[in-house]
Amino acid sequence: MTSKPAVAPLLTPARQQSDLAGQFSSFIMMVRKEFTVMTRYPVEFVASFGQIFFIVAIFTLAGLTFNPAGMTSGGGSTGTLTIYGFVIFLFLSDTLWNIGFRVRQEQVQGTLEQLYLSPANKFLSILSRVTTILIWTSLLSVTGVFFMTTLIGQVTVHNPLLGIYVLLIALLGMFGVGFAFAAVTLRLKETANTLINLIQFAFMILTANFFPFSALPEPALFVSRLIPISYAVDAFRSALMGFPPGYPELAPFEVELVIITIFGIVMPVIGFYLYRAAENYARRRGSLSEY
Amino acid sequence: MTIHAIQVRLSVVLASARMRIINLTRYPGQMLSDLIVPIVVASLPILLGRATAGENASAIFAANTGTGNYVGYMLIGSSVYSIVSYAFWHIAYWLRWEMETGTLEALYLTPTNRFWVAAGTALYSMIRSVVTGLIAYILGSYILGSNPFQGELLLALLFILVGLLPVYGLTLLFGALVLKLKEASALINLMQWGVSFLMGLFFPITVFPPLLKAIAMAFPPTWMTNGARSALLGVGYFFQEWYFDVGVLTFFALLAPLLGYVVFNRVESNVRRHEGVGQF
Repeated sequence: MTSKPAVAPLLTPARQQSDLAGQFSSFIMMVRKEFTVMTRYPVEFVASFGQIFFIVAIFTLAGLTFNPAGMTSGGGSTGTLTIYGFVIFLFLSDTLWNIGFRVRQEQVQGTLEQLYLSPANKFLSILSRVTTILIWTSLLSVTGVFFMTTLIGQVTVHNPLLGIYVLLIALLGMFGVGFAFAAVTLRLKETANTLINLIQFAFMILTANFFPFSALPEPALFVSRLIPISYAVDAFRSALMGFPPGYPELAPFEVELVIITIFGIVMPVIGFYLYRAAENYARRRGSLSEY
Repeated sequence: MTIHAIQVRLSVVLASARMRIINLTRYPGQMLSDLIVPIVVASLPILLGRATAGENASAIFAANTGTGNYVGYMLIGSSVYSIVSYAFWHIAYWLRWEMETGTLEALYLTPTNRFWVAAGTALYSMIRSVVTGLIAYILGSYILGSNPFQGELLLALLFILVGLLPVYGLTLLFGALVLKLKEASALINLMQWGVSFLMGLFFPITVFPPLLKAIAMAFPPTWMTNGARSALLGVGYFFQEWYFDVGVLTFFALLAPLLGYVVFNRVESNVRRHEGVGQF
């Protein structure tokens, strides 16, 4: 009696991809693709560090124009406040463009439609960019702090673990903002470019990355208090500066920590659902490849 | 060159500029962005200064820069920066833009000299950047609490207009670099911040060490910025009198466009012979 050879159940590509191992494999390949693209543009990689140097130098010298001891003496606390706000701004800006607007780049390159025809998880494509942001922008942030230290002397660092926690949880929230902007990009297409530009500059003022919140007029401060990222900026630099008198400025630190934590948990979920809704809308209308 | 030939070239320039302006009007958000960006960029150090120096901000700023009007100082810097920045983006990115819009091949097949098409782009860029820079300066002054009409306005405008020619000459040099290295966006992004650093966007270049100061002084936007600030705020011309500074800018205006044209043509011919201009 011969036994029938076991026949493996028919696995369609879609079913193969639906299991976790397959999705993880897809995610790794997407991350690898992002890094491969990054390494193909060495000039951009080096130029980004040059940009950081110039930005830090410009704002350091700008701050020194208001230094009563003159422009050639150090600008300690001002420089420290600026650089920590700048770190948050770097991550926010990279999130808006590299997650929010990259969908548009996929459309222009003509690869978005192919991505949607493949059985791979589409959301993982956006998530893969989180990895490159974490690594590349972290490098740029560290470089920025190094340049600031070189220019003004020592940058104060207190409560590093608390600062890292605030940064990481705020990053989660910012990634959620990025996902939401990816949804906006799918709907608005090229107009999203201008919108993200305007929002980036609005955030620059309202989240007070480069100056204390006390500099803002009351109406602007009211709007700032409505933006969770403002509390992230305030808490991050207050913690790392060792809570000098008057800091944090918006609310007690414990309150800010709660706000940022809720932001970090809830915003990615909201961003994900917004992206899914925009994606389904585009697929129903057949506008994924339109640009 | 006959009058007819001049008319033909002029019509190409005007047609190219008109096309870009019509394209711009289809994106009103971009025009709004042009107005907002200089104001927002200038407001960053202004708000920082007000918060850190308080009521003494004007006095401290005057001791460090020669004028207590820090709002006007920063706004002039950011407005001139936006003019210079747009010049670099529009010209250095010109071929890349032609490729993205699918008109590069047609451009190279047409019997019209590409130089005049680029000149039309430069004209469009000048109009867009000078108009939005002026409006941003006036609007920003009112928003941030300064009088935009103090000082010698016409003299400041003279510095800006004379300075435009060497700036656009420099953009041709930079455009040659972009053609060769290909990574247009990365280089232009780096250039923007390098330019703003060298021209003293928010600070006087007198704080630079000697070598860096010499490099900054060889850079036409530095003279534009300082000339406009001196005319409007009285911070002091580099050579004490305005006509000496205008003379230096005029020298740059004669030298830079010629140099840029020669270098750009040479690099473009070289690139066309080898890898082609369509690759980015």
